[in-house]
Amino acid sequence: MRPALSVVFFTVSAGAGLGLAVWLVLARALGAAGDDATFWRTAACAFVLVSAGFASSTLHLANRRNAWRALACWRTSWLSREGVAAIGFYAASGAYLAAAALRADAALALAGALVVAFAAGTFVSTAMIYACLKTIPQWRTWHTRVAFPLLGLAAGLVAWIAVRGPAAPQGLAAGSGVDLWRELAVALLAAGGALKLAYWAKFPGPDAAPSPNDALGLRDGTIRLLDAGHSHGTFLTDEFCFRVARERARTLRAAALVAGFVAPMALLELATGAWSGAAAAVLCVAGLFVERWLFFAEARHVVRLYHGIRD
Amino acid sequence: MKLGLVVDLDTCVGCHACAVACKEWNGESAMAGGSPDRDPYGAVPSGVWFNRVRHFEVLSDAPRDAASGHLNLSKTVNVPLSCMHCEDADCVTVCPTGASYKRAEDGIVLIDPERCMGCNYCAWACPYGARELDPSSGTMRKCTLCVDRIYDAALPAEERQPACVLACPAHARHFGDFDDPASAVSTLSRERGGGALMPALGYRPVNRYLPPRAPAQVDVSRLPAAPTLRERLASLVNRVVSL
Repeated sequence: MRPALSVVFFTVSAGAGLGLAVWLVLARALGAAGDDATFWRTAACAFVLVSAGFASSTLHLANRRNAWRALACWRTSWLSREGVAAIGFYAASGAYLAAAALRADAALALAGALVVAFAAGTFVSTAMIYACLKTIPQWRTWHTRVAFPLLGLAAGLVAWIAVRGPAAPQGLAAGSGVDLWRELAVALLAAGGALKLAYWAKFPGPDAAPSPNDALGLRDGTIRLLDAGHSHGTFLTDEFCFRVARERARTLRAAALVAGFVAPMALLELATGAWSGAAAAVLCVAGLFVERWLFFAEARHVVRLYHGIRD
Repeated sequence: MKLGLVVDLDTCVGCHACAVACKEWNGESAMAGGSPDRDPYGAVPSGVWFNRVRHFEVLSDAPRDAASGHLNLSKTVNVPLSCMHCEDADCVTVCPTGASYKRAEDGIVLIDPERCMGCNYCAWACPYGARELDPSSGTMRKCTLCVDRIYDAALPAEERQPACVLACPAHARHFGDFDDPASAVSTLSRERGGGALMPALGYRPVNRYLPPRAPAQVDVSRLPAAPTLRERLASLVNRVVSL
């Protein structure tokens, strides 16, 4: 699949923003959200990340005038559900921030629960947009369903630590000297890295898709493309026949793993300076860009069979 | 009704007449929204096609027929691909705006360009490459089964067929109702063992593809042995006479 940068940016940025919002709500509920300035600074960061993501997603649309119609088919389309969940997230977030400003604690708890619920709904919808496609075996896996929520929450937590700064441990871990948020972020990053390693180790190959014989409805014989019937590129070759060289994919996988997971884990675990959280967040998001680019670039649509491409 | 096409992979000669006729009819069609080209006479021409013909070589798995000892020849198979008007059309259910729809009365899958936002998601869901984005309007395009021909009472009855079917010089394309077991397409598909492409994906495509017929086999054991002296003499005489 063509790795459209607008969609790569969208899923990484909005995922991190949604994750950050979820952690902010949880931290505040646990009394660990720091002072007011930290709370509002974090909320602003989450808003910017989510909004930049959704703004970027509209760049992918060839006819943006009709984007408002995208909420119509929520009963069948995960893309539509994603839009509905995102709007629910904005509404719940608005109510949550209003309750926080007015110090209405009961409303704050209710709105906070809604923020988490709509963020979860958005995560699930985004994942299912890709996981529901029967045409792309590399996306129709448990990996896709887990990766979007997990990586979003991991990046959000790293961002929370960066925005919060090296504050003294509060709430649950108060007095213990252990920063539970950092430990949790390291655990999530480890889980995310393990997920990617497991996915790449058992990457669905040509056998996961229909064969060229299935594509032509011919039981016997070995099939080879003689002529694709067009002299230059088409919409189909542009969109579905993107190929990334094996060597390059290997390099990028390593880069994603190191920048996105290993380096932030090391920074959060070993470094203590005020800069360590910010450096971890920047590296994590950069690594996730590479990871998400590969998620698209390495996906193989079955229409490639009609273009003589099997792997 | 369940309208669709039968494509005969045995007789298709790969001439692209169906694809050109499709372009001609749908180029300006209001129902199809047009199938515009990009830089058609330039160095890198491209464009929207609702129907594309691809050419494949099918090599026999067994190089020699075990019984006759004859070589099994490879075969060129030309495969025209257009919308299969699937019964479980994911391109319709994934569409967020409702621009893609499947008609209840005849099963034709259509796009309303007025509602399409050009997100490409339906094209991602289609395994047959039947949907292509028109970059000039930013909306998706696809085969309409010439819905603006097949019901046109102003046309003679025999012309109320998709343009591709009418254009095919090899009669490799047939149009009809698969819901009617007695229809020409149902009968043809049944008799020739017509099948769907990639049925395992579960889209239940309507169009049927007739497999190439087995090539005629010559039984070498029944070929005449070496000519007798009498036959060679007769042959010599024949050649002299015909000088």
